[in-house]
Amino acid sequence: MTMDRDALKLKLKELLVSGLRLQDMAPSGIADDQPIFVEGLGLDSIDALELVVLIEEHFGIAIPDEEVGKSAFASINALAEYIRAEQARAG
Amino acid sequence: MRGERDDAALVVTGVGTVNALAHSAPAFAAALRTGTCAVAPVTGFDATGYRSRVAAEVKDLAVPDWIPSPLRRRASRSDLFALVATAEALADSGLDVAAAPARVGIVLGATTGGMMAAETCVRDRIDGRIARYAKGPLVATPISTSADVLAAVFGLAGPRLVLSTACSSSANALGIGLDWIRLGRADAVVAGGTESLCRTIFAGFNALKAMSPEPCRPFDRRRAGLNLGEGAAVVVIERAADAAARGAHVHARLLGYGTSADAHHLTAPHPEGTGAALAMQRALARAGVDAAAIDYVNAHGTGTPLNDGIEAAAIHAVFGDHTARVAVSSTKGTVGHTLGAAGALEALATVIALRDGFVPPTVSLEDPDPACDLDLPRASRDAELRYALSNSYGFGGNNTSVVLGRA
Repeated sequence: MTMDRDALKLKLKELLVSGLRLQDMAPSGIADDQPIFVEGLGLDSIDALELVVLIEEHFGIAIPDEEVGKSAFASINALAEYIRAEQARAG
Repeated sequence: MRGERDDAALVVTGVGTVNALAHSAPAFAAALRTGTCAVAPVTGFDATGYRSRVAAEVKDLAVPDWIPSPLRRRASRSDLFALVATAEALADSGLDVAAAPARVGIVLGATTGGMMAAETCVRDRIDGRIARYAKGPLVATPISTSADVLAAVFGLAGPRLVLSTACSSSANALGIGLDWIRLGRADAVVAGGTESLCRTIFAGFNALKAMSPEPCRPFDRRRAGLNLGEGAAVVVIERAADAAARGAHVHARLLGYGTSADAHHLTAPHPEGTGAALAMQRALARAGVDAAAIDYVNAHGTGTPLNDGIEAAAIHAVFGDHTARVAVSSTKGTVGHTLGAAGALEALATVIALRDGFVPPTVSLEDPDPACDLDLPRASRDAELRYALSNSYGFGGNNTSVVLGRA
């Protein structure tokens, strides 16, 4: 079962804001193609660790290593695609 | 009189602070002169049920925009105080850190670090408000984080240390900074202390019955304990010659420090005050300044029955007949006892006293204890001060005194 693409993206943005306590940011303020780390949303490696756990908790999907993390966390678009692909793979 | 040490005369070229009275050094100087007391009911957590429910808290401190995003969200209060105070001190000094980053050291005293946020995490987890621990607050828990954060933000690539000797921590930080420069390990040092109020420490002092339910009264006959405070104080120190070469403004001179250990008790000072006296004597010897040249002592003066009497006796032991000519005050009645930040904050008060020519008062002192037979100004007093001592005594018998001189 896969989630509607737009609903998934919105959920991911909400998860970022609440899970990482981005108090001065609204989910609607995050662009789909905005880089999530460093110059994009200004997140760092500790946020990445937190995000790995959040994705696992909410979607049951693991980010097995840094390589996968780098591409999956490139943007909301990339993260949504990664989750949908993993969900499809799991059937 | 022996000669003041001039092998590496050090000067304070930058000062910064955040505390319950003020969010900058100039505002702190003004409040010290006025003798304002910042002790008020605790707002940071529920203090219901404690013997004392007052403290000197930092309030309404805006998180500056220049702090990078992850830190803005994650910095503990201790880290935030240290960041703001260090930014002020570095800007005040005019030091060009980027010109030789590896020659600028950072040494801080601290005792609680990010404990307040960690306590909130644990409580939220136990009460079921969160399913697991968030990583951010836990990363910011150790006291070592403060210096790491400052080094990263300000590009300080020289020696780095956070030390903890209870309430003398940041007095020792100034001493270590002085040593680093005299040993040639750094050309300039950012030295100070930072501390934020937390439940664990509050409960601990409460359990020891060491906290006064009212604003503390150091050296008063009716003194009933201390008030906890929080904040940070940071100074930039460097060689006098380097400061002169770049035309830096000098607030005061840092001349020496002395330490000793009571080796006596976990919380009580040695009843004879021998350790306290020894720290003062060593500091004076190290600075090459005669006891008779000291005009002002910023006392540890916690307001506990034990400390103040013993400290007064130690001052008499060190100064003898000169004691009557030494003005003594405790600034803890204004900003509370900031523990790991206290040594640096009180050294800063002493720097201000030397620079601006006044003795800060012991606020709330009404009825001086005859057992503390000292010159204890109750209002700020104009005075041309040449040399001053700042005393810091920590639980476990950690004694440190710092000698400062007028610029």
